[in-house]
Amino acid sequence: MSEFLNLLAAGLTSGAIYGIFGACLAVWFRVSNVLNLAVGDFAMLGAIGSAWLVQTGGLPFGLGIVIVLAGVGLTAWVFDRLVLHVAFDRGVGAHGIVSVFFYTFGLSLVLEGAARALFGTDVYGAPSIWSGPALAIADFHVQRAGVLVIALAVVSGLVLWAYLRFTVSGRAASACGESVIGSRIVGIDSAKFRRRIFIATAVLAALFGIVESPITGYTYMSGPTLSLIGVVAAGFAAFRKPGRAVAAGLVIGVAEAMLGGYVSTSYSDVLLYAILFGIIILRPEVLGLGAEPA
Amino acid sequence: MTEPAATDRGTIESPAPATATADAAAGPPRAAGPPGVTGSSGVTVHRVSRRDPVPVAAGVAIAVVGALVLAAMNGSYLGLTVTTGVAYAVVTVGMVLQLGYSRQLAFSQSVFMGVGAYGTGVLETKYGFSSLESLLAVIGLAAVAALVIGAVVTRAPGLALALATLLLPLFIYQLATFSSWLGSFSGIDGVLPFWSGPSYESTLVRSGIVSVVLLGLAASIVLRVMRSGIGLQLMAMSSDERLSESIGVSLRQRRLEVFVLGSVLAAVGGAILASAQGLVTPDVLSESAEITLLLMVFVAGRKSVAGAIIGAIVVEYLTTSTSFISTNLGIIEGIVLLLILLVEPDGVAGAVDRLLGRRTDQWATSLRSWSSERLRARGGGNGAGNAAV
Repeated sequence: MSEFLNLLAAGLTSGAIYGIFGACLAVWFRVSNVLNLAVGDFAMLGAIGSAWLVQTGGLPFGLGIVIVLAGVGLTAWVFDRLVLHVAFDRGVGAHGIVSVFFYTFGLSLVLEGAARALFGTDVYGAPSIWSGPALAIADFHVQRAGVLVIALAVVSGLVLWAYLRFTVSGRAASACGESVIGSRIVGIDSAKFRRRIFIATAVLAALFGIVESPITGYTYMSGPTLSLIGVVAAGFAAFRKPGRAVAAGLVIGVAEAMLGGYVSTSYSDVLLYAILFGIIILRPEVLGLGAEPA
Repeated sequence: MTEPAATDRGTIESPAPATATADAAAGPPRAAGPPGVTGSSGVTVHRVSRRDPVPVAAGVAIAVVGALVLAAMNGSYLGLTVTTGVAYAVVTVGMVLQLGYSRQLAFSQSVFMGVGAYGTGVLETKYGFSSLESLLAVIGLAAVAALVIGAVVTRAPGLALALATLLLPLFIYQLATFSSWLGSFSGIDGVLPFWSGPSYESTLVRSGIVSVVLLGLAASIVLRVMRSGIGLQLMAMSSDERLSESIGVSLRQRRLEVFVLGSVLAAVGGAILASAQGLVTPDVLSESAEITLLLMVFVAGRKSVAGAIIGAIVVEYLTTSTSFISTNLGIIEGIVLLLILLVEPDGVAGAVDRLLGRRTDQWATSLRSWSSERLRARGGGNGAGNAAV
């Protein structure tokens, strides 16, 4: 029983990682019909940036967090003004299915290259926000950072779900994704919602990177893998439902841990991805993707 | 004059010569006459022809020029870099058809590169196959694998296809790294060159020449498809799937064909890579390999075969050189990609076309004419309005 509980704790921790990136991807896709493939790079910037400011710059951890989050928000704002605004508000450049992936893919490359130039190839981990030994109840052990990760993922998923479902602003944001022209006709500033939610999800991802980095450590190359896992989790939430993305991420994480614990440690990821692949192919309706976005 | 009838494969049965125009109501593209005829409106229109000399000529030109360039490099390190670039170019040529021309958003090319590379390595080092035998075997293996995988993944619509094929590199990479039979992280060493010579340099030149011949063949096949009636059907699909289905295009069949062709070419590229480098490592299957391939296609021009070839070789050169560019390649690639997406979505090749004053939408006129005819045959009027591209 204790083995099962410990596997569950490990699975929930890694599942929370998948879920939070899935939620960030889903909420912005719902507004813009664009997948943010740079979301993992924002987390990487948060983790490495705060660790670097504390370890090399000698700044207090709290101040480092504030500076990094402000820097990430500014980066997201600049990208929106220079690229997304030009592409989507002025109608310049590539559109259609290409725009769904490749603008943010370009940003991901830039952030990865910039991180390598600034921070090198070392592994970084921010100081733990809640330090101390692992929490233990009988044989059940969970790291404090893991508890924070799970809590942040669940709270973020719930807040984003509630925002989209119960607030006028959230409904207006959803309307932008349904029809940009329609939303503009009724007075919704789609560019504003796209920009604000892009910045908010970038900052959330960076915060998550700071909280999570004591567990796994980050390098300049960590971003794409996190984004990819987020895309998978968001895919099981039709790319539009952040709450469901968190739930999907948690299920995927627990499944991965159980496969690793009870079937094969080496092949747990292989089996997991094979199962997910099978689900997508055999039951594509699970994803809720009827057609390509306009 | 008898109006030619379009077959279900999109080719034209009547050999009657006629003048193609940019007018949608002027009828379908004709069979006879060379492609690239100036119509009455002064717009150059490519016409579907069974005796189109361009693909073969392009393939021969690529093979000859490539062989001369590699011979001039005389087995130097640069020659190895170019041969490696040629391996990637075979893959990107397939991606032009798959991603650029048909807009089939599949991210499985690195996986099939791995099929080609690992297939070659395993067959040669464990089963004693020769280079030619292993090449033919991996082509067959990749075709069967692509048919099986494609039969299921091409059922998935749009983003689901992208998501399914995104998962493929993730678990195939892990499978390769954990499999001792595939050499785990070290991979497989001792892959044979395509054509051995008395020295390392001559072997490199000879194998490079075989590689550019394969590249010429790949380019020829892809250009032939793009310039055929099937190419028009693919363009119609990429423009509007519902419209193309309404005029008789079999979406599932065309999707599968494009997937299989792109995958087989990726496997051939993998075989060339393994042969040129003499070893196979899991890196060929990694997500970064897929990213590099995407950059090669998008930066150079996702709809241009020539662009894809030059892009693959140039990006490979920049990646392996020790200059400032290779150190900061990621940031440079990202900025260039963003600039291209914003300024010229058809890449450097599109920009060159524009600079030279060539129309990049010349095929659209042929597509418009062809789809108008299909709609008319189905009792839908001349279809001029609906078939606009």
